[in-house]
Amino acid sequence: MLINSVILILREVLEAAMLVSVLLALSLNLRVGVRWFFAALVFGAIGTVVFAGSLEIVTDALDGAGQEVANAALQCLVYIFVVGILWLGTSATRSASRDKVLVILMACAVACAIIREGAEILIYIVGFSAVEEQRAAVYAGSSIGAGIGLSLGVLLFATLRALEETHAKTACLILVSLMATGMVMQSTMLLEQVDLLPSGNTLWDSSSLVSEQSIAGEVLYAVFGYESTPSVVQAGIYLACLVLCFVIGLYSSFRKGATRVS
Amino acid sequence: MRFSCLLIMTLLSSVSAFAKTPVFEIEIRDHLFHPEELRIPANTKVKLIVHNRDSTPEEFESYELNREKVIMGGRKANVFIGPLAPGVYPYFGEFNPKTAQGRIIAE
Repeated sequence: MLINSVILILREVLEAAMLVSVLLALSLNLRVGVRWFFAALVFGAIGTVVFAGSLEIVTDALDGAGQEVANAALQCLVYIFVVGILWLGTSATRSASRDKVLVILMACAVACAIIREGAEILIYIVGFSAVEEQRAAVYAGSSIGAGIGLSLGVLLFATLRALEETHAKTACLILVSLMATGMVMQSTMLLEQVDLLPSGNTLWDSSSLVSEQSIAGEVLYAVFGYESTPSVVQAGIYLACLVLCFVIGLYSSFRKGATRVS
Repeated sequence: MRFSCLLIMTLLSSVSAFAKTPVFEIEIRDHLFHPEELRIPANTKVKLIVHNRDSTPEEFESYELNREKVIMGGRKANVFIGPLAPGVYPYFGEFNPKTAQGRIIAE
């Protein structure tokens, strides 16, 4: 039970911790402060409790598709907020209002990610702490898993902060785009699961190259939404979302060049 | 009103008759899946209804099927899978991965 708890909690914590680390590094880089993070924690925690507490109702909603639709919505929202962050983060014109919107978008993205991952953690811990003989193992394992996940987040944050400023900003924006795009792809899987999206044929099978059950596969899954057997629909949406991120990032930087000339 | 009800019912029944998705049921008891091995038709979309008879929550998960869903204690959940190429597709309960193991055989 102990090792199961470690792995389970680590997987969930890692996903949110990586996004948090990159956005914290980015906000220091853009000098907009990190106070938004505490607001995100509060809203994320409230949302987690509400979502986990109403999961039974949510699951049965929409003809049994409620859980998937809710989770997919949270993941797509993260992507939408990240697109906004890309737009504002790369634009040259700095103003107080831009910074304000930027921190709100960051807080919303992190809060959504916390709710998505936190609800599962809460359901697991509450569910199994009710079982006397498993309680100690679940608490200990969860603490260790969370500790490792948070440490890896700190490590990524420190790495991004150690980079030279312009490189760090580019790295943050690319990483956050890849993470958010991965989330959209995972959300398409959820919608296929409840038959709201057609599950087409598997496009390729890279499980012999990087298995999703290997450590590398787990990390790639947690950070970039890695999928070893994507369907045509998943791959198509992934590509489209990634292209949109790059187009927005590049267009916004291009505009920056134009403003500088004028 | 009655007519529209009738119309909706006819539409719904025609949709479900058209879809004809086969339904299979799996039970979770004492952190074990029953049946452990489920045979389903290959190249056909299938609806799984997973009943969690335990008091603790479970997460139905499969890397091969690209599926994951939390099922609270004493509840059930629907999961659509396929169309699958013939083969063996293992799945497990993420909250009790040591015991909760099962496989779907598409044939």
